[in-house]
Amino acid sequence: MKAIPENIKIKLQNYLDGKLTSVEASEIEKLISQDENIKLSFDNLRTIDAYLKKQKLVEPSKNFTERVMEGLDSYAAGRSFSLRNGIFLLVGVLVLTGLASVLISLGVFDTANSLNLNNLVSTNYIKKDLPTIPFNGKLIMNVLIMINLAIAFIVLDKAVLKPWFERRMHV
Amino acid sequence: MTQQEEYVLIDRILAGERNLYAHLVDSYKSYAFTLALKITNVRGDAEEAAQDAFIKAFHNLQGFNREAKFSTWLYRIVFNTAVSYKRKNKRQFDSIESTIIEHRQEAEGNLEKKDKSKFIAEAMRKLNDADQLALTMYYLQEFSLEEIAEVTGMQANTLKVRVHRARQRLADELTGILKQEALTL
Repeated sequence: MKAIPENIKIKLQNYLDGKLTSVEASEIEKLISQDENIKLSFDNLRTIDAYLKKQKLVEPSKNFTERVMEGLDSYAAGRSFSLRNGIFLLVGVLVLTGLASVLISLGVFDTANSLNLNNLVSTNYIKKDLPTIPFNGKLIMNVLIMINLAIAFIVLDKAVLKPWFERRMHV
Repeated sequence: MTQQEEYVLIDRILAGERNLYAHLVDSYKSYAFTLALKITNVRGDAEEAAQDAFIKAFHNLQGFNREAKFSTWLYRIVFNTAVSYKRKNKRQFDSIESTIIEHRQEAEGNLEKKDKSKFIAEAMRKLNDADQLALTMYYLQEFSLEEIAEVTGMQANTLKVRVHRARQRLADELTGILKQEALTL
């Protein structure tokens, strides 16, 4: 059996969808009536079109809506921190900040003011003296404490206060 | 429900009347479920995915900007959720060979309309998932090609080509099956 050219196949589909001009439509009608192969292909296309048009929506289970409504709360609970976890996280951040502050007040970082690269890199390959990078250890620690405090505020808001208020709303 | 009524309903839900969300779920659950079922091919997964999508939509309702229809926005969530469910629970599909064996066994009786529908349904299963989905959404006639494109994240032109190609493939498949049946009669 002779294969149907691609352009004819496209025209058959467009004819089925009513997207051909009257001239094109009469041309394709002529082809369908003359060529048995094209007629068979068009008949099958039409059968498939009729079958697909009969498709209906599939209904979900009867308690679908009920289950969605029940799931609204569990989703919120699953997505946000529990109050207990939030408090643990906040305590952890605060303890870390407190420890850093104590170490600063004890003067642990007062002597940390430069980084000697010669102590870090092997001198077997590098003969020249490497530079020493100066830094202020106390300042860096202060910045880290500030960042930690900012994180503590965010944790307080998102992981402690928000779950607490949400819980109160749903009681 | 008109679009305006829908917006009023959404405003009330956002204002705290969460029980009203059940109306939205009731309005869209059939299409959402059908869409999820076409993607996952497993009823249980489709049910879970569609429910999950409605829950996600509820929690992101504030982000619905009303530029598109609510249904388009919702079905996009359903589509993405169902796709990720399918990825999670990959299942084995019927192989082409087993389908052909089935054809032969069932072709003993008459080959009238009822059988043809069965053959088409089987031929449909041989299409790839994207083609099946495109055909289903196109023929359910709930959306324009542009809206289907928005839901599925495909280009409208690509979608049109896909529908044409899938339909042609089905027709070719049916021609092949019918020829085979004619030989066995």
